[in-house]
Amino acid sequence: MSDFTISRRTMLAGSAMLLASTAMPISGWAQTPKKGGRLVLAADSEPRNLNPAIVASNGVFFISSKIVETLAEASFDGKDGLAPRLALSWEGSADGLSATFKLRDGVKWHDGKPFTSADVAFSALQIWKPLQNLGRTVFKDLASVDTPDDLTAVFKFAKPTPFQLIRNALPALSSVVPKHIYEIGKIEDNPANNAPIGTGPFKFGEYKAGQYYRLTKNTDYWGKDEPYLDEIIYQVLPDRTSAASALEAGEIQLAAFSAVPLADLDRISKVPGLKVISKGYEGLTYQLVVEINHRRKELADVKVRQAIAHAIDKDFVVKTVFLGYAAAATGPVPKNDPQFYTADVPTYAFDVAKANALLDEAGYKKGADGNRFSLKLLPAPYFNETKQFGDYLRQALAAIGIDAELVNNDLAAHIKAVYTDHAFDLAVGPPVFRGDPAISTTILVQSGIPDGVPFSNQGGYKNDALDALIAKASETLDTTARTDLYKEFQKEVAADLPLINVAEWSFISVARDTVGNIANNPRWAVSNWADTYLES
Amino acid sequence: MSPLRRFLRAPEAVAGAILLAALIAMALSASLLFPGDPQAIAGPALLPPFQDWSLPLGTDRLGRNVLAELFHGARTSLAVGLAAAAAALVVGAVIGTLAGFAGGLVDEVLMRITDAFQTVPSFLLALAFVSVVGPSLGVVVIAIALGTWTGPSRVARAEVLSIRERDYVAGARVIGMHPMAIAFREVLPNALPPVLAMSSVIVAAAILTEAALSFLGLGDPNRVTWGGMISEGRTVLRTAPFLSIVPGIALVLTVLGVYLAGEGIVETTAVRRGLS
Repeated sequence: MSDFTISRRTMLAGSAMLLASTAMPISGWAQTPKKGGRLVLAADSEPRNLNPAIVASNGVFFISSKIVETLAEASFDGKDGLAPRLALSWEGSADGLSATFKLRDGVKWHDGKPFTSADVAFSALQIWKPLQNLGRTVFKDLASVDTPDDLTAVFKFAKPTPFQLIRNALPALSSVVPKHIYEIGKIEDNPANNAPIGTGPFKFGEYKAGQYYRLTKNTDYWGKDEPYLDEIIYQVLPDRTSAASALEAGEIQLAAFSAVPLADLDRISKVPGLKVISKGYEGLTYQLVVEINHRRKELADVKVRQAIAHAIDKDFVVKTVFLGYAAAATGPVPKNDPQFYTADVPTYAFDVAKANALLDEAGYKKGADGNRFSLKLLPAPYFNETKQFGDYLRQALAAIGIDAELVNNDLAAHIKAVYTDHAFDLAVGPPVFRGDPAISTTILVQSGIPDGVPFSNQGGYKNDALDALIAKASETLDTTARTDLYKEFQKEVAADLPLINVAEWSFISVARDTVGNIANNPRWAVSNWADTYLES
Repeated sequence: MSPLRRFLRAPEAVAGAILLAALIAMALSASLLFPGDPQAIAGPALLPPFQDWSLPLGTDRLGRNVLAELFHGARTSLAVGLAAAAAALVVGAVIGTLAGFAGGLVDEVLMRITDAFQTVPSFLLALAFVSVVGPSLGVVVIAIALGTWTGPSRVARAEVLSIRERDYVAGARVIGMHPMAIAFREVLPNALPPVLAMSSVIVAAAILTEAALSFLGLGDPNRVTWGGMISEGRTVLRTAPFLSIVPGIALVLTVLGVYLAGEGIVETTAVRRGLS
């Protein structure tokens, strides 16, 4: 009996090898996408509100960007790094007081009603500006949206608003939802927030808590022949270690957003039939940042902050914590940003002796126990890497005589402790750079932000020169002048260190070889997947 | 036959005692053998065991010495286990004695409180408590004690109920001793042996609960704990299984050792009491 099993297994293995060897050349040139099939992928969180117009975050986009579309999507080769979606063209006026969008013709909502400029006007004025986490800042001066015809929307601003900012905000902030669904009742309580209706290539199918989300093909989609897939299933796998085994077992075909732990990538890249892809997240750069509470008198001294910056071995962090899947940061704008990044900023090489000297200079001598002072360090629990960096930072600080006590909290408690109660000295946070410093980056260092706003300056930092720079950039319309101001901003932040940028990282996808058109735009994981296909 | 010789005759008790002695030796020698912070980075990350003899058990994801972590982790495990068990036994014995000796309304109230604590699974109680108060060593000890004091309190009460009817208690009353003095000077000491018999199980359970809390990220992050080591190793389980296996084995041996040694002591003392 056992003999038989073994021989059958060997035979199966042999025939599989044969199949693989014959299939290989075919998959090599199978570039024309196939239609049909069901894509099953891992989802590690279950957002309750799936309305991307209200909650502009990657966790929501991951699912709802396939259902609800934006005016434009990020692109590797498009003009200004954009590709048209619901808008075909966009133009800002010279005075910065208006922006005109020409919309796509013949687009239908999933319930069959036509998509018009009224939907854009409604989404912008009723949702993006008053309710959206990011839109509140970017669209704060939006006064009205004119709709001269069904396919034209003209945004009117009360104060000059740089069109560069609006353009950069389009991929993440401009999800359009149907006016006829949302105009009834309170927007926040609308049932469509949990079962979204959009114009996208996929319709919302069903959601079973703790199990899966199912999206089905929109047969009426405006894209020619698109979408290729019949169904997308998001299998809820909250345990990060289970995604790798599910991929190997063939239960899922894709794990995006680094659902497979970095430490497993080396091993899994050698598994036949699986590919590891680090492209497709260029527009979603996360920044590893040490947030500083400037209310602590020691930390209010720039020498102490510089000493901490010198104590962190960024290369070690990149190599050990991120296993090479990251880059050392120089300032508040990531290196991979094509528009704003400048390398011409003060840098802090890893130098423990210099860090110790700076602390001595600042007047914090080592005590008898070798410590200068004690700090509370709160690593954010979002990612394994933020927690591990917390462990590393504690050691790095110990080397320069700063005794850091780690405080671990769950997500809600961490956000409350840092951004509302300010009960921290140092915190490790992962803010996101979203293509323009004015969207979610300047808020990290600007003063005058009310308590309780997550991912903002809650460290009590106030620098009038920097505030003035940010204010000036926000009303500078000329793209070159505005870009130069943000380069100035990077220099100022790197010099005064209101926070310390350590590294920048993106995510990794692992997929079966059969999944096609992966990573073909800089926000691929959160784009609409109309052209994604399965080979067999 | 002396209790010690009887203890030494039981092989499982001896095995338990040896394991326990090894654990205590590890905990005591941790600072001597591995001075300084065990969480300090000592070498390249993810070094497998038995490669470099200065790091015999290899290193973890940040390059910390696993052997040093193991020794310092023994300290935390033992300290938490003993402290939580001591707290649970003291609180349980006092409440049980008060309830049993006072009777009436006091008994009712205290026992209903005990019931309330017993109906909540002790691990959930610990989990909830730590998540609300925030993880630190003291909080973890209290959290574990919160879920385990009910057992000792019920045993103590049952024992007190029988003891308080004894003649010497009646005698103490007659000579006008204060009821509190009778309860804690005369009754409690005599009610203690069966309560103490539970201690080995409580210590073992406390060590496991501490490991489970640390595994879930609710341990004290400033100390090495075996549960925390297993939890950190879990993310690299497929590439570096030893990071979870080594502290896992240590945990199993410790719990086994505490339990076997405790049982051995209870058996030998029980036989002595039975004979006398």
